[in-house]
Amino acid sequence: MGTLGRAIYTVGNWIRGSGQALDRFGSLLQGSYRLEEHLSRHQTLMNVFDKSPLVDKDVFVAPSASVIGDVQIGKGSSIWYGCVLRGDVNNISVGSGTNIQDNSLVHVAQTNLGGKVLPTTIGDKVTVGHSAVIHGCTVEDEAFVGMGATLLDGVVVEKNAMVAAGSLVKENTRIPSGEVWGGNPAKFMRKLTDKEIAYISKSAENYINLAHIHSAENSKSFDEIEVERALRKKYARKDEDYDSMLGIVRETPAELILPENVLPEKTTTRVPTTHY
Amino acid sequence: MATSLARISRRCVTPSLSSNLIRRYFAAEAVAVATTEAPKPKSEVTPSPDRAKWDYRGQRQIIPLGQWLPKVAVDAYVAPNVVLAGQVTVWDGSSVWNGAVLRGDLNKITLGFCSNVQERCVVHAAWSSPTGLPAETLIDRYVTVGAYSLLRSCTIEPECIIGQHSILMEGSLVETRSILEAGSVVPPGRRIPSGELWGGNPARFIRALTNEETLEIPKLAVAINHLSGDYFSEFLPYSTVYLEVEKFKKSLGIAV
Repeated sequence: MGTLGRAIYTVGNWIRGSGQALDRFGSLLQGSYRLEEHLSRHQTLMNVFDKSPLVDKDVFVAPSASVIGDVQIGKGSSIWYGCVLRGDVNNISVGSGTNIQDNSLVHVAQTNLGGKVLPTTIGDKVTVGHSAVIHGCTVEDEAFVGMGATLLDGVVVEKNAMVAAGSLVKENTRIPSGEVWGGNPAKFMRKLTDKEIAYISKSAENYINLAHIHSAENSKSFDEIEVERALRKKYARKDEDYDSMLGIVRETPAELILPENVLPEKTTTRVPTTHY
Repeated sequence: MATSLARISRRCVTPSLSSNLIRRYFAAEAVAVATTEAPKPKSEVTPSPDRAKWDYRGQRQIIPLGQWLPKVAVDAYVAPNVVLAGQVTVWDGSSVWNGAVLRGDLNKITLGFCSNVQERCVVHAAWSSPTGLPAETLIDRYVTVGAYSLLRSCTIEPECIIGQHSILMEGSLVETRSILEAGSVVPPGRRIPSGELWGGNPARFIRALTNEETLEIPKLAVAINHLSGDYFSEFLPYSTVYLEVEKFKKSLGIAV
């Protein structure tokens, strides 16, 4: 059996070799227009000369995010897909339990029209929505920056304040605690109810749990991914109703079970959102 | 003179430095990739020495979570930059362009036939919607979602155009054959009636659409479908990067 296995392996190698030769020939035919794929050079954490990011070990940094320069991220925070935290000309510090959602940009200002130097500080348990742009601001603990919001230089978002989605907050605006500001330019809209304030910190916790599963999934090795793919394919055909009719109880493989705290709660509480 | 000096110094310094880092990365990967370590006592930032600054694999396009696996139709174009996570279904003829993030981790996301989600969009779904209806994000057929839009738990009925940089919040409904202007923000739970043009922040009625304009909407989606066909044919079914990886590993002395 050993020699047969070795023979098959050698034949396999020949076929792969000829396949690669065919690929090279096809690239030759395509000439300069061929698509050359290279290893991804994307750096998740990148230094700018001597400024290097300081990221806690509990933080989920998505592989497609870029954390560059003088950035400090506290425990339990999450930086989601496609974000850019660019601490090149000044310092960015992100607290613990904060989530910076997909495609957001956090940058700092070295100088601005007023001549002030503005590091960006984002406190603990802050939720920064998708595609937000935060430039040289201070966002205090348990604040909520809505998705698509643009916060310009020197903005201070106080504790428990909310910036509505899509708003443009002009320079040096101060958003007082417990209020919702929105629009372009951002103006006071209404005050937050207590339930909504509680919801802000609950949403930060939800994101900490979500970040755990995403982090686990993104850091899997090739073998683990393949094993799970096979498991998923095998498990896909199982139908619980049919099984219960037959009296069979099948077990979901452990790798395919999501932790309870990520699945929706069976309560009927409404989710408070920013109403216009 | 200065440039040649820089080049020589770079050549001397870089291989040893980077190969050390890379060797350590590969070693960590070989053992067990995780950031599990002894619990740390204080609230200071304690970085993990195992965190990889550079992963040669880059970001995976399709990220399964638990039992959910994103499904992409065979002729749908999904750009290599895109992240599909959780319960995402991309149906036939549709396209997802560069930099988009479709995160179906809390609820389902469906992208219908011949629709397109353009560059840098973020499509997410909340657990529950303020309207009480199911909070999945459903983008029906022939919908064009313009670049840099943010869609969260909304329903977009067939044949719509969502302008660039628009924001659709939880529970909003865009009825068939309507157009949202660029930069519009649709508040939670709002409904854009059929056949009308809305825009602004918050979105307000601008005018009704003429019949000709209504007929153009699916044509735009089909045009983008044709464009995505060009992009789709650029890529091979399986990439040949594995050859580079094998060469790289061999040059570092790691078992292939």
